[in-house]
Amino acid sequence: MPDFVLDTDLPPSHLKLMVQLAPGHPTGLNLSNPVIAASGTFGYGDEYSEITDIQRLGAIVCKGTTLNPRQGNPQPRLVETASGLLNSIGLENIGVDRLVREKAPVWAEWKVPVIVNIAGESLKEYKDLAAKLRGVKGIAALELNISCPNIKAGGIEFGRRPDLTARVTAAVKARNELPLIVKLSPNVSDIVPIARAAAREGADALCLVNTLKGMAIDIPGKKKLPAFGSGGLSGPAIKPVALYMVYAVAEAVDKPIVGCGGIESVQDVLEFMAAGARAVEIGTASFTNPSTMINIIKDLTDYLSRSGINDINQLVGTAHRW
Amino acid sequence: MIPAGPQIKLLAPVLSNRMITPGSYILSFQAAEIAGTARPGQFVMVRCGTGSERVLRRPLGIHRVNFTGPAKGEVSLLYSVVGSGTRWLSELKAGEYIDILGPLGNGFSLGPANRRLLLVAGGIGFSPLNFLAAEAVKKSIKVTLLLGAGTARDLYPEELLPQDIEPVMVTEDGSAGKKGLVTDYLKLFLPGVDQVCACGPLGMYRAIEARRKLLKETPVQVSLETRLGCGIGACFGCTVKTRTGLKRVCRDGPVFDIDEILWSEVKI
Ligand SMILES: Cc1cc2nc3c(=O)[nH]c(=O)nc-3n(C[C@H](O)[C@H](O)[C@H](O)COP(=O)(O)OP(=O)(O)OC[C@H]3O[C@@H](n4cnc5c(N)ncnc54)[C@H](O)[C@@H]3O)c2cc1C
Ligand SMILES: Cc1cc2nc3c(=O)[nH]c(=O)nc-3n(C[C@H](O)[C@H](O)[C@H](O)COP(=O)(O)O)c2cc1C
Ligand code: FES
Repeated sequence: MPDFVLDTDLPPSHLKLMVQLAPGHPTGLNLSNPVIAASGTFGYGDEYSEITDIQRLGAIVCKGTTLNPRQGNPQPRLVETASGLLNSIGLENIGVDRLVREKAPVWAEWKVPVIVNIAGESLKEYKDLAAKLRGVKGIAALELNISCPNIKAGGIEFGRRPDLTARVTAAVKARNELPLIVKLSPNVSDIVPIARAAAREGADALCLVNTLKGMAIDIPGKKKLPAFGSGGLSGPAIKPVALYMVYAVAEAVDKPIVGCGGIESVQDVLEFMAAGARAVEIGTASFTNPSTMINIIKDLTDYLSRSGINDINQLVGTAHRW
Repeated sequence: MIPAGPQIKLLAPVLSNRMITPGSYILSFQAAEIAGTARPGQFVMVRCGTGSERVLRRPLGIHRVNFTGPAKGEVSLLYSVVGSGTRWLSELKAGEYIDILGPLGNGFSLGPANRRLLLVAGGIGFSPLNFLAAEAVKKSIKVTLLLGAGTARDLYPEELLPQDIEPVMVTEDGSAGKKGLVTDYLKLFLPGVDQVCACGPLGMYRAIEARRKLLKETPVQVSLETRLGCGIGACFGCTVKTRTGLKRVCRDGPVFDIDEILWSEVKI
């Protein structure tokens, strides 16, 4: 009994699942629905194409991409914890040049928009990345990763200090015309000033959150896990943290928010939307069940029909009025 | 390498799930789609639980496929209970459903020139080699199986082995079969062999590697283990550095040529 969804389950035409993530941008960054595959959990998109109908997703964010290819961290890179997952991939990726040469032309043929997640160790790397991705066909938007906990230099610092967030956002915006989503780190004492800095410098949307820094310890094996010594925690364990951060930023910043962290069901999506998210990214839950995102899209349609809501955007931010 | 067959996710009815040695089980489920396309050395990702507690599926090798039984297209897994996921799995009952993703990865490859195969199995590592042995016999390849365990009661039951192979049982304490480690008997059974395929703990692979000279030109394929996230090549959680570049255990492997592996890079 295969549990894929048939194409006859497409939403009835009076229901609007479409969301816009860059209202101020010429393209608008319109997604057919608010369900996005999170960076680092969905490769370059094609890996999942045999198992699930990737073209029906709202968007796909590709693996974090750096100026030069990276080999990543030593094994083990993954450790499961209670309702969570610690990863320290260390941004293994093919590098921006190969991405432009080999992946973007494939994406250009797809219906589903692909967003490129970019990560750098210095302001210069971010600038060079933005410049190399300028005008490349097949890319719908950039997602600025200033929040990766798994590389030694740079990276996360840009997501910890509002002044650096502002500089890197402005620098990328100046060199690339694509809509820009800035992905924030939860590993900060107050996320609001950082969100404000990104918004002020022209971010079209904000994504929160990336993983929370954590570690595991293997007592019999006498070792720290993952092998890198720490990792980023994802999965249901981080959902309440992510939900709160979405709520707090939605209160302070008037930009579309993409909620991310521990989402695995339509119920979770409804909660994130109520907190102020216009769309959601789903990561770890695709490992648990590769049909998660497709199931959620179907469940969202059902929910709208059942509750007599015609436009999904009506769900955004409702909790702020309660 | 043989290209991977189509991957599917399905809920399959469990046909049986029984303990065969202390702490080890064979679970069989009905999935004609998988039985029909799976190749020896491929694996499935099994959801071990129903709630949010365990977010990762567990990789298990395909132990046997069977088209002749009443269940038309039966797939069996052989697993040891080592933690919470496999413990949960051991409690599944016939008639319940198992959530499967597969078949995944690149399996063992046997060429038309292969005449004589030596299989080296350390403990639960016998799991995918059983399927390989059965396929090799079908291709009229002679199969010798070195099957190791710590002690007699942990040895895979001889009556469950495929017909028409030459099994050599080895226990560390000598309580059954030959005494020692399977790798101690490589030399004895090597003459005439044109392909070695091994599956077992890392220590066993290192012991084979240490005897590389003795194996001379005989190619050795090993099934590697790392912790898997997605199981389909999308998360880079399983990547190892090899002599031929970065390889994802789940998609480029799990079976590799032993000479490709940099053993210092493989850790679980
Ligand atoms: C391609 C592949 C095929 C496999 N085939 C089989 C098989 O046919 N039969 C079988 O019994 N096992 C097989 N394994 C190993 C099996 O996946 C693990 O034993 C299982 O995931 C443990 O799950 P758990 O929840 O019971 O243990 P956990 O609670 O996750 O872990 C218990 C202990 O096992 C260790 N462990 C965790 N994950 C792994 C892993 N991937 N490999 C080895 N040790 C691990 C941990 O360090 C821990 O000490 C295979 C692994 C791979 C990568
Ligand atoms: C294995 C793995 C790799 C990841 N790689 C990246 C990455 O390259 N860039 C990035 O911005 N986020 C990365 N993330 C973070 C996710 O995109 C997401 O923000 C996080 O996992 C929380 O969502 P989840 O709980 O739904 O997984 C990664 C997460 C995982 C689990
Ligand atoms: S387990 Fe995800 S790439 Fe191999």
